[in-house]
Amino acid sequence: MFRRIGRAFKEAWWGIRHHRAMVFSTVVTISITLAILSILGVLIANINQITYDIEEEIQVFVKIDNDVEEKDIEELQLKVSRISGVAGVVYSDADSELTYFIEQYGESGSIFEIYRDDNPLSRAFIVSVSTGFSISEVSKQIGTLDGIAEVNFGGFAIENFICLLGGIRKAGLVLALAIIPLAIYLIYNTIKITIHSRREEIGIMRLVGATNSYIRIPLVLEGIFIGIIGAILPCVGTVFGYQYFYEQMNGQLISGILKLVDVFPFTLYVSAILLAVGVFVGLIGSWWSATRSLRWKR
Amino acid sequence: MIVLENVSKIYKNGTKALNDFSLEIQDGEFVYIIGETGSGKSTLIKLLNGEEIPTKGRVLVNGTNVGRLRFGKVPLYRRKIGVVFQDYQLLKNKTVFDNIAFALEVINKSKEEVRKRVKEVLEIIDLANEFNSYPTELSGGQQQRVVIGRAIANNPSILICDEPTGNLDPRHSKEIIELLEKINRSGTTIIVVTHDYVLVDTYKKRTILLDNGSIVSDDSEGGYIHV
Ligand SMILES: Nc1ncnc2c1ncn2[C@@H]1O[C@H](COP(=O)(O)OP(=O)(O)OP(=O)(O)O)[C@@H](O)[C@H]1O
Ligand SMILES: [Mg+2]
Repeated sequence: MFRRIGRAFKEAWWGIRHHRAMVFSTVVTISITLAILSILGVLIANINQITYDIEEEIQVFVKIDNDVEEKDIEELQLKVSRISGVAGVVYSDADSELTYFIEQYGESGSIFEIYRDDNPLSRAFIVSVSTGFSISEVSKQIGTLDGIAEVNFGGFAIENFICLLGGIRKAGLVLALAIIPLAIYLIYNTIKITIHSRREEIGIMRLVGATNSYIRIPLVLEGIFIGIIGAILPCVGTVFGYQYFYEQMNGQLISGILKLVDVFPFTLYVSAILLAVGVFVGLIGSWWSATRSLRWKR
Repeated sequence: MIVLENVSKIYKNGTKALNDFSLEIQDGEFVYIIGETGSGKSTLIKLLNGEEIPTKGRVLVNGTNVGRLRFGKVPLYRRKIGVVFQDYQLLKNKTVFDNIAFALEVINKSKEEVRKRVKEVLEIIDLANEFNSYPTELSGGQQQRVVIGRAIANNPSILICDEPTGNLDPRHSKEIIELLEKINRSGTTIIVVTHDYVLVDTYKKRTILLDNGSIVSDDSEGGYIHV
């Protein structure tokens, strides 16, 4: 058993040594593929975090009609909270609205205290929207209810920004999924060359009754090795590259509003994924190659 | 025992290689198969080692229905029959010893078994002194003996040779046939496909003449065949 594993490793290593040029170019391409994947991964994870943070922060300010009687407020609040996408509704009466208003003006705000008895401000609901729901859509829904005077949210700018981030995320995923088959195909070709240069040996193995798995295992191992070798640089690059970037940016984007994902354990997760993709690509590519060239004959 | 019952082989491209072919070979026989180019000799061998499947009929080798073997079982079946094909020569980067050992290593024999059996085989093919030579350092006849040694390494009950004397001069051909006779004496069934009528005439054995995928004559005395 150990001898068999030893042999498989030896032969896989032989294949790698004997087609250094081909293996090298495949390793480089796998590395580039995984590097792109890593960048996409970092991008997507940060976009996720940023989108989440923004959506957490955003609140919709819903002004209540002055005609709505005090006793109906509770029912209206219930109606608002039933709208899909509404995560929470907080009622704020005119009095607290004024307090909030005055607070916002700081020192000089106190002059507005004169309005305390004849308050021109409306009562309002502060609505938070669940992540994943369109803020403008939810706002529009709220606006259709009777007894709502006005609905305000951060504006379309924020929503467009979130939408843009979502678009980038999708494009990244598509790109990532598109380059993986390419990497598999490259491994497929490399292993095909190994098989070709060993065709005499493989032919004799078949002639004397070596099992198909016996012939296949070293070939598949070779593919996996190439995948792992190709993953080393992107993994190291991800850990140190992202750390460098994070430090340069002080862990934030655009004057501290948006926080970057922490370096650890995030980069380790990304590295693990890259390694797994490397192994997967090597396994599938070489398995495919070995199966195709062993199947043509009994 | 080898039995072919009404075997036909039609290749995918429509070529009829064997036609309602029936044949019986007993254990321990030595049989020549001769015939012109394209008469179906190699096809017969490929049916016997499971590389091709009969279009019709049955191929039974020691009770195994070879055409019905599942894909995964073919390798195990092949361990029990030795085949010498001209397409599969020696590996140039391995010594005589390692070339023969290779056939045993790839079917997971232990190191000890391999060493013991390779030594025996080297005695049989009379190349014990050349065990450490590389194929290029050997004569054509010696190389062919190593190829035969590799084929019998796993002690097959049947040894099939396609043109074993193909590229050899008469002196070396004689050497090969004498080696095959020696292997035959130890009980192994020998099937030799050949174009070498001189050989067939000199070392008379049961001789089967093929033409166009059918048996034209099957002479247990052998010899005196002029096509
Ligand atoms: N894989 C194949 N596909 C299609 N036709 C084939 C195939 N192999 C052999 N044939 C055809 O089948 C016929 C018999 O071929 P086979 O190789 O058995 O002849 P042979 O007696 O061994 O000839 P030779 O003396 O030249 O080796 C020939 O017409 C050949 O062209
Ligand atoms: Mg032939």
